[in-house]
Amino acid sequence: MNTLVDIKGVGKTYVSARDGQRVQALDGIDFALRRGEFLTVVGPSGCGKSTLLSLIAGFHAPTVGSITFDGKAIAGPGPERGVMFQDYALFPWRTVAGNVEFGPFARGVSASDRRRKAQTLIDVVGLGGFETRYPHELSGGMRQRCALARMLANDPTMWLMDEPLAAVDLQTRIILQDELLRLWGDAEDGQERPTVMFVTHGIDEAVLLADRVLVLARRPGRIKAVVDVNLPRPRDKARNSAEMARLTEHIWSLIRDEAAQAITEESH
Amino acid sequence: MSLQSAHALPRGARWWLPLLVLVVLLLVWEVAVRRSAAQGLVPLPSGVLASAVKLTANGVIIDAMSGSLARVLIGFAFGALVGIPLGLLIGILPVMDRALRPVLDALRSIAPIAWIPMAILWLGVRGDAALFVVAYGAVFPFIVNTSQAARLIDRRLLAAARALGAGPWILLRSVMLPGSMPLIFTGARIALAFAWASIVAAELAIGIKIQGQGRSVAGIGQLMVETLYVQRDVDALVFYMLTIGLVSLLIDAGLRWLQQRLLPWSQH
Repeated sequence: MNTLVDIKGVGKTYVSARDGQRVQALDGIDFALRRGEFLTVVGPSGCGKSTLLSLIAGFHAPTVGSITFDGKAIAGPGPERGVMFQDYALFPWRTVAGNVEFGPFARGVSASDRRRKAQTLIDVVGLGGFETRYPHELSGGMRQRCALARMLANDPTMWLMDEPLAAVDLQTRIILQDELLRLWGDAEDGQERPTVMFVTHGIDEAVLLADRVLVLARRPGRIKAVVDVNLPRPRDKARNSAEMARLTEHIWSLIRDEAAQAITEESH
Repeated sequence: MSLQSAHALPRGARWWLPLLVLVVLLLVWEVAVRRSAAQGLVPLPSGVLASAVKLTANGVIIDAMSGSLARVLIGFAFGALVGIPLGLLIGILPVMDRALRPVLDALRSIAPIAWIPMAILWLGVRGDAALFVVAYGAVFPFIVNTSQAARLIDRRLLAAARALGAGPWILLRSVMLPGSMPLIFTGARIALAFAWASIVAAELAIGIKIQGQGRSVAGIGQLMVETLYVQRDVDALVFYMLTIGLVSLLIDAGLRWLQQRLLPWSQH
């Protein structure tokens, strides 16, 4: 079976905490995530892309429709679906090693095994030597690496990433994009790669990373287009290619009007 | 501000200037009292110093203080053991908050020392009454701060923990509790300040009750009552007052030191 996540007729309505209004975040979403693909999700502010991710993570249930993971209905969060948050969400009272160990710890893995696992991942993401530092002592890029290692410590088959690189500077972002692709298995062929759903504001980032880009429209969030990205992997040489520029421009033309609309609406 | 004024002063003046003012004040005080008819009612600085040396050397102050401190620590520990779990429960479950808040608010509004007559009636004058008052005063800061901390905990941290595989027990023990610790520590400092204030008041009241009935469980409050009515020694009284203040300062400094040691991440 090639489908890992099957989203059928999903809609999500919630009551806004700000003004008590009912907001329809998603409407009529039908989509199938393929096993091992790198999917990026873009769309104007308010298109519900983070909502879609949190439904797959299991933090919330859809108002209508159904989502299955590996053929089973999603009943809540699970360690097979790792989540990486935009603003790190590291545990401030745990060191780098303590954060990375949290997943195995929560699942009852023995102390020595989880320590070994954490050390391996800390080295993989380049945080060796910072094991005993607390999150507040780290730079933005280092915190994000720590969050990545923490997610990977559970060996999740799916990576759910909500604008994970939005809060770091441009140079750090480029470096982290390359590292992310490397960890995912960009260079390897025919390997069992994890399935990734990566929400981003950056259209060029979305094109650079993805096998497919899911473009959402806003109010309510609907699927506007699914764009295939057939750039060769590994992608490290694709960054300034003509094809990447063309795809970026194409996706931008799909959401430009709504993005402009979102700006004026949000100023009210 | 403080930087500026420190720079404006010559080196070293920051230390000797306030000291000089203090010494001059004490000298003026000493001379003024010796030349007036207020001797015996108003303490003499030299007399306070002499009392300090005498009462420390013969162990009177040490015995009384350790008696009071022991009760404060037991009452404080009781406050923590009852207040922290109750606070977590109230902070996590809105139904508990709704159910218990009116009762707790009503009890909290009654000053601990207002319970002294009741406590004496129920528990007698042998020290248990003072302990009751101290525990009563200590429990509320723990409840209030712990429940507030649990309510304010960063929801994303809970989501992150759940996505990493944490069940309810791990969420409570390894996310809610450590995440609440900084505010709980603030509650502990308030509770200990309350406890120390209540023990002095309670022991004073109990000391008056047992006047002339022979021995009571010794504490600083009872000692002050005895000093007032039996010895009529104002110098000793002032020495006891100073010691009470000093112990308050030491307790708070100790707790802040402990917070730095136990929660190094919380100072930011």
